[in-house]
Amino acid sequence: MTAPPLANLINELSKLPGIGGKSASRLAYYLLKRPAAEAETLAQAILDVKSKIIRCSACNNMTDVDPCAICSDPRRDPSLLCVVEEAFNIPTIEQTRDFKGVYHVLLGALSPLKGIGPQDIDVAGLLKRVQSGGVREVIVATNPNVEGEATASYIAQQLRSTNVRTTRLAFGLPVGGDLEYADHVTMSKALEGRREI
Amino acid sequence: MILKSLHAQNFRNLAPEPVHFHPTTNIIVGRNGQGKTNLLEAIYFLATTKSFRTSRVASLFRFDSPTLYVAGGVERDGVERNLSAGLETGETKRRVLMINSERVTLPVYLEALIVFAYSAARLEIIRGEPEERRRFLDRGIASISGGHVQALTRFTRVLRQRNALLAAVAAREASAASLDAWDEEFLAAGSVIQASREAYAEELSRAVGEIVREHRYHVGGLEMRYRPAMADPAAARRDELRARSSLSGPQRDQLEFLIGGRPAAEVLSGGELKTMVLFLKFAKLVLFRRRFDEPPLFLLDDIDAELDLEILQSLLARLPASTQVFATSAKESFLQALEAGPHLRLTVDSGRVTAARSFA
Repeated sequence: MTAPPLANLINELSKLPGIGGKSASRLAYYLLKRPAAEAETLAQAILDVKSKIIRCSACNNMTDVDPCAICSDPRRDPSLLCVVEEAFNIPTIEQTRDFKGVYHVLLGALSPLKGIGPQDIDVAGLLKRVQSGGVREVIVATNPNVEGEATASYIAQQLRSTNVRTTRLAFGLPVGGDLEYADHVTMSKALEGRREI
Repeated sequence: MILKSLHAQNFRNLAPEPVHFHPTTNIIVGRNGQGKTNLLEAIYFLATTKSFRTSRVASLFRFDSPTLYVAGGVERDGVERNLSAGLETGETKRRVLMINSERVTLPVYLEALIVFAYSAARLEIIRGEPEERRRFLDRGIASISGGHVQALTRFTRVLRQRNALLAAVAAREASAASLDAWDEEFLAAGSVIQASREAYAEELSRAVGEIVREHRYHVGGLEMRYRPAMADPAAARRDELRARSSLSGPQRDQLEFLIGGRPAAEVLSGGELKTMVLFLKFAKLVLFRRRFDEPPLFLLDDIDAELDLEILQSLLARLPASTQVFATSAKESFLQALEAGPHLRLTVDSGRVTAARSFA
């Protein structure tokens, strides 16, 4: 039988996404072998994110200062608003260094099967930001799956009355890949979205 | 396209020993209940991960076995590849599809081996539930257009979401605010499928008409009528909320087979029905051949006295010479049509397949 404190740790770790029973047990035994200081550093890091990280009151991004570093950056263009499902989508777009606007995190996507409707994601906050003026374009960067597409449709419908330009990220081929590995839907979307050269 | 060998494990009563096939004609004989059809079914499963006999995949597992596995060597465009499809029952219900020992997704897998099957169970295409006819269309489209499986998967997901929302709104557990957004997705995902079905049904209807005329078959004028179910969601809103589910869309499309304006199932005799389904199968093959150079595998299960053997012979004679055919019958005399050229005779006895004689 596993000693109760160890079983407890395994149980807690197995609640993490992507961690099954076996991985949880391997992690727990690993932590057990490491020096106590290392475990304390990890525990402190977990406590820190919970106590020090808050949501940005403007865009819902995860931040330790409010408003977040992106919203308060004077070099960024607040008239260009990029809508994403989750805060972890922001670093992906930031990596490109091409986007100079600001973000709005919805905190989810529409999914009736999970009971997630428009009132459960922050479309109201998005509308308020747009209605308060100064927004030129809203770029909808929700996921290109069924739920993300429905969310994009919903946002487009809500923004129609505001006369703000609303755009959707393009679908297409991954750069650096080979055509032969593209699936059919991606390929036909890429054909649909072809442009003059 | 040639299936060179097959290896089944825990698939119905088939013995777990590799079976090697003839590149063109394989005649499968044996007494009733020995596993002739199981062998064809295993080939069909290897190609489609489905059965042509039943929609219940659970019945494919050998009694008490939690897993099943079928592997085969397939030659296509001069390249030989190993395909395998494995299933698990119980809680996990995993499906593992591999090409040359590498895991692949379903749409990729399905393109590796194309099979057309005729069996008595396929008569449901004409006389069964509308669901059977939608599946008949979809499998035909999937055989010529790789994107169709993905389009169906996408639509199914939108449909489930939309139905959940309709039910929740009807029960006042959710607001109706996002219904329009789901309608938009529903129409977009559904119209892709309906456009494919419309085009396929039209082309197939013409092809089947030509085949029937060429054979001067005494039952003429088979009409295939595709009726897509798509309504304006805004107009149907009240009814759909009352029903708590989507009342239009590809999941309710109709495909009718009519003769002289009456349902074919009511007009045709048993033998005529079988021959008509055989014509339909060959028409599907014609459509496939218009797009691809290599002919698919053709499975003929349980050729019997009711089937017009002269017509079967003439249809088979029209297949490209390189078509690999697998045929079963309980009575050897019905297989004579296939014995004219090079062939391999396989005998099935209690699930064990032995190559009896080869006339290569």
